[in-house]
Amino acid sequence: MTDAHPVTGLDDVVHQRVRLGILTITHEARRVEFGYLRTQLQLTAGNLSQHLGVLETAGLVEIEKGYEGKRGRTWITLTPAGNAALAEEIGRLKLLIARVEEGFTA
Amino acid sequence: MTTDSVSAGDDPRRLLSEVRTLAHRVRLDQRLTWVALLVLAGVTFLGIPFDWFGMKVNCTPDGVCEFARRGVLYYWPLASLLAYTAIAVLYVRAARARGLGARVLPYSITGAVTTLLFTATWVAAALYFPSHPQRFPEWVLVFDRLIAPWGMIGVALLVLARLERNLALLAFTVVYLAVVLVPINFGWVDHSSTRAEFLPQQVINGGVLLLGAAGFRRWQR
Repeated sequence: MTDAHPVTGLDDVVHQRVRLGILTITHEARRVEFGYLRTQLQLTAGNLSQHLGVLETAGLVEIEKGYEGKRGRTWITLTPAGNAALAEEIGRLKLLIARVEEGFTA
Repeated sequence: MTTDSVSAGDDPRRLLSEVRTLAHRVRLDQRLTWVALLVLAGVTFLGIPFDWFGMKVNCTPDGVCEFARRGVLYYWPLASLLAYTAIAVLYVRAARARGLGARVLPYSITGAVTTLLFTATWVAAALYFPSHPQRFPEWVLVFDRLIAPWGMIGVALLVLARLERNLALLAFTVVYLAVVLVPINFGWVDHSSTRAEFLPQQVINGGVLLLGAAGFRRWQR
């Protein structure tokens, strides 16, 4: 019996470039503002909102809206499930790379 | 970036590489190293007159002097705590203005712990050694320099370098600690005055921190 291929365990919510980028930045920053994410990921506001909605529905991020002075600010934080999902995704990506390299050397 | 979902067969190397690039960019945007070094340099220079005027020196007619650096003990605990608080506040404000959270809290906690450690050690020494005078071997003096406020600054900076994954700061801190632990003396130490004997090293420590602040400011890292 062989181990399941790492691809079979990939989570469609996380295994997507933009959403993986959102999770990575939020994990590294602890807390990140909507505008920073938009600039770093080079997305339109609508596009980013859609991805954040997917992540929020999956319980991977929390979105907090507030004001600083008269300016509206939206802050995003990672939930414990989001942290775990990101670690899992990175682990699986590393496994995939290892499998590909094994394939080349076999 | 695209909004397309990545197929299972897509290049995981490229994804991982993007993850690393994004994480690195965030870390760079969170850094405010030069401000931390500038605050520490300021505290070091400001401490010099406290050490000078707060030092109790008793010399006997045969030229033997006993001294107690009371100024260091009165000034540094409060100054260090204020400095680490100021650094934490400045880091958080700068990160927030950029739209990020900050990673500075463990550094400030380390700063507070090292301050307590230094204070406890110096108070114990101030209580014990006047009635038990003795000469120390060189390794004890190196430890003495490490546990002093200037050495503790270096220990806390190692934590900051780790938090920021900042190799430049790590290299700077190693040099700074070497300067603190193995004092440079090109003959400028004035042995005729107990007060003046401690002056050059403090100026050098503050100068190294100030140069570091200028360097990190110049390269914004």
